[in-house]
Amino acid sequence: MAAEKNYYTIDPEGKLTCLKCGVPLVKGKAKFMYLDNGFPVELPVCPVCGFVYVPEELALGKVASVERALEDK
Amino acid sequence: MSQIQERGSTHVYKVNKISREEMESMVARCVYEQPPFCSAACPLKLDVRAMLKAAADGNFKKALQLYEKIAPFPLILSQGCEAPCEGKCRLNEVGDGLAIREIERAVARYGEQFRLGSVFRTSKRHKTAVFGSGLFALLLAGELEKKAYPVTVFCEEADPEAYLRKAAPFLDESAFALELRRLKGKEIRFVCGCRLNAAFYEQQKPAFDVLCASDEVRARLFPDSVPVPELMICEAERLVSGPTEGVLGAAFGAKKAALTVDRLAQKLDPRNTRGQEGATDSALYTDLSEAKVLCRVAVPAGGYTKEQAIEEAGRCIQCHCEECLKSCAYLKHYKKHPGLLAREIYNNTQIIMGDHQLNKPMNACSLCGQCTVVCPNGFDMARVCHLARQNMVSTDKMPLAPHEFALLDMLFSNGDAFLARPQPGFASCRYVFFPGCQAAAIAPETVRAAYEDLCARLPGGVALMLGCCGAIADWAGRMEMAQQAHEFLDRELARLGDPIVIAGCPSCAKELREHGVKELRGIWDVLEEIGLPEGVHKLERPMALHDSCGARGDAATQASIRRLAASLGVRLTDTPYSGDRSPCCGYGGLAAYANPEVAGEMTEQCLERSDAPYISYCMACRDRFARKGRESKHILELCYGTDAGAPPDISEKRRNRLQLKRSLLQELWLEEPMERKLPYTLNWTDEAREMMDRRMILTEDVIAVLNGFRETGEAILEGESGLLVARRRLGNATFWIKFSREGENIYTVHRAWSHRMNVVKREG
Ligand code: SF4
Ligand code: SF4
Ligand code: SF4
Ligand SMILES: [Zn+2]
Repeated sequence: MAAEKNYYTIDPEGKLTCLKCGVPLVKGKAKFMYLDNGFPVELPVCPVCGFVYVPEELALGKVASVERALEDK
Repeated sequence: MSQIQERGSTHVYKVNKISREEMESMVARCVYEQPPFCSAACPLKLDVRAMLKAAADGNFKKALQLYEKIAPFPLILSQGCEAPCEGKCRLNEVGDGLAIREIERAVARYGEQFRLGSVFRTSKRHKTAVFGSGLFALLLAGELEKKAYPVTVFCEEADPEAYLRKAAPFLDESAFALELRRLKGKEIRFVCGCRLNAAFYEQQKPAFDVLCASDEVRARLFPDSVPVPELMICEAERLVSGPTEGVLGAAFGAKKAALTVDRLAQKLDPRNTRGQEGATDSALYTDLSEAKVLCRVAVPAGGYTKEQAIEEAGRCIQCHCEECLKSCAYLKHYKKHPGLLAREIYNNTQIIMGDHQLNKPMNACSLCGQCTVVCPNGFDMARVCHLARQNMVSTDKMPLAPHEFALLDMLFSNGDAFLARPQPGFASCRYVFFPGCQAAAIAPETVRAAYEDLCARLPGGVALMLGCCGAIADWAGRMEMAQQAHEFLDRELARLGDPIVIAGCPSCAKELREHGVKELRGIWDVLEEIGLPEGVHKLERPMALHDSCGARGDAATQASIRRLAASLGVRLTDTPYSGDRSPCCGYGGLAAYANPEVAGEMTEQCLERSDAPYISYCMACRDRFARKGRESKHILELCYGTDAGAPPDISEKRRNRLQLKRSLLQELWLEEPMERKLPYTLNWTDEAREMMDRRMILTEDVIAVLNGFRETGEAILEGESGLLVARRRLGNATFWIKFSREGENIYTVHRAWSHRMNVVKREG
């Protein structure tokens, strides 16, 4: 299968831990959804409970600019 | 927690048409695009204003380029033109009109623009011929050459020099030499020494696509022909020609004739699509107060020197209407006159698919109505933007993000923070005090003092209603929400026995009146009537009065505030743009939420008018001026000797409203309000507080995230910092906080952020 396009990738590199499950977050598949549009991304995810982490830089940077672009569609 | 439905899919393809006629009639009110008076009077439509600007800048080359657009032989036209433009120059009304023709002469002499023969030009396919000589024939040949037609001139004169001499005998020697050089530089083929009779004409005719002639030759060849002067053509003979008078007349005739050649070459009816030709009137508005130098620079015998031409051109006030752009920071920001901006915003609403690039400007107007007052034609940009917002809301294309915070704030004002009670001891009251949501948010102590004063001094009882008038939803273009707010207030007023409303804010007063509240007075009117409260300090200091945009067109309120200020001892310093012409502080129309940058410029523009401390009668104005560091007072603070102090942040604005409600319930109505106490201690770093205010994140949001964390235990531990990160979806956004924890019950928030997108785990 062809490599799937991801709009954004962050590898937690073992620096983040899920408090509840006590395991390190791993790079995992996630999806942003907004106004009926979806974007596959790779973000730090807890392999046990599925907590997806959206770091501040991502929220204020890429995510905010895509939000703004979609809002004006 | 209140919620507002996010807009649906971006893949909804529909629009609600605003009638183009309505928009065009609105747009047409703006005279910005009208030509200046001088150009309107010029049948050749010279851009006089731009040419004079270039000349005033000493850029004679550019000035000549502009002049050559209408004059293939600039010295001929500038020496011979009758200059109707000069008579129409607006400066005639205050002094000497501009010496436009003398400047043109200087431009023609100093512009030094000669096309050097070999400039590569693609020429048109259609061949043209001009039979005969004289000024019209020469100028027509020049026009055709400018339009890149191959031109052949057939004349009886012996050479181009004699041809030029005959056309423009009035040229002095130096001008003649220059124009001869110019003529020789043009790609005009001369066939000299011809005998221009019918046989010769018939013989040449087949080689050309369009034939033209001087009026003299036309009369000789076709004595019975009838030229149509508007078109310069004899239709039966298909000969481009006709009589002209004077130098300007010949130039105008040549211009019309050249357009007719265009149409014939394209095999079109020469009558079609000619646009507006010749001199017109202009509806432009010019502010003559800008005119300073009222006397013409005297013209020496040989014409202006370069310096003199620059000086005279510099007297031009560059007529154009900028009344609204001068006064409105929003229009200044977008650097567009409203006619153009309105058309673009209209087009924005009609986009079915694709980017709505004008959303931001559409939402940045404060709907304040100042433009309508300063515009000589009453252009109503507020209506344009407000209609456009409503239109986008109705087709579900309006983003919620720019207005959501404000709309939630309205729901909060009319929800958790709402209060409606008759005065203690009264079953029903004659009055109800409605201070407005911003007053309760920004100056709760002032609201309380005013209410207690009204209760003490007005007979018949004064009820209190803390809430929002609905202006927020109205401004957002969400008319259904606005109507819900109005209906809610109506019901609450009815429960109080429909008392007379005493509004504390002119914008509330306006909103409530427009939506059916019949009996309403401003608190300023009441205070004028019953007198200032006892013990009020006389101030004896100069202050600048800022009129609220909510009071635009309300002379009675403006006057009443001035009298109140005077009886407080305040010496009001005069500011430009006061009264009906007052600008908006940036709060109006939700500009401050949708576009903080433009709103900030609006605030600055307000403050530029005076260095004095500001006094206002709308709490939002008071708040925004104080935020910019200006000493700023609401008139009620002066009346009651209260001090609302430093401007509150967004969370404090909510807390102030809740606390005002709670303390009044407790102390006046002896009700024990439910007080929610956090079962833990919550601290903030300064950085977190500042960040939350900037990012529109409320204390309430943070508490909700933390409560969620305490229930679920879900968080991320950041290895390096040892901080925890938790999140929660609240309404249409996900909020994140980064915090530390001491034991089980003490938390310190370090950072907070949010995003509107939903993030979900993906399988696979
Ligand atoms: S004031 Fe503004 S809106 Fe009115 S005519 Fe002039 S440029 Fe146009
Ligand atoms: S002041 Fe300048 S722009 Fe205005 S009418 Fe006179 S020449 Fe034209
Ligand atoms: S902000 Fe006020 S003055 Fe400016 S365009 Fe809008 S309504 Fe007119
Ligand atoms: Zn987990």
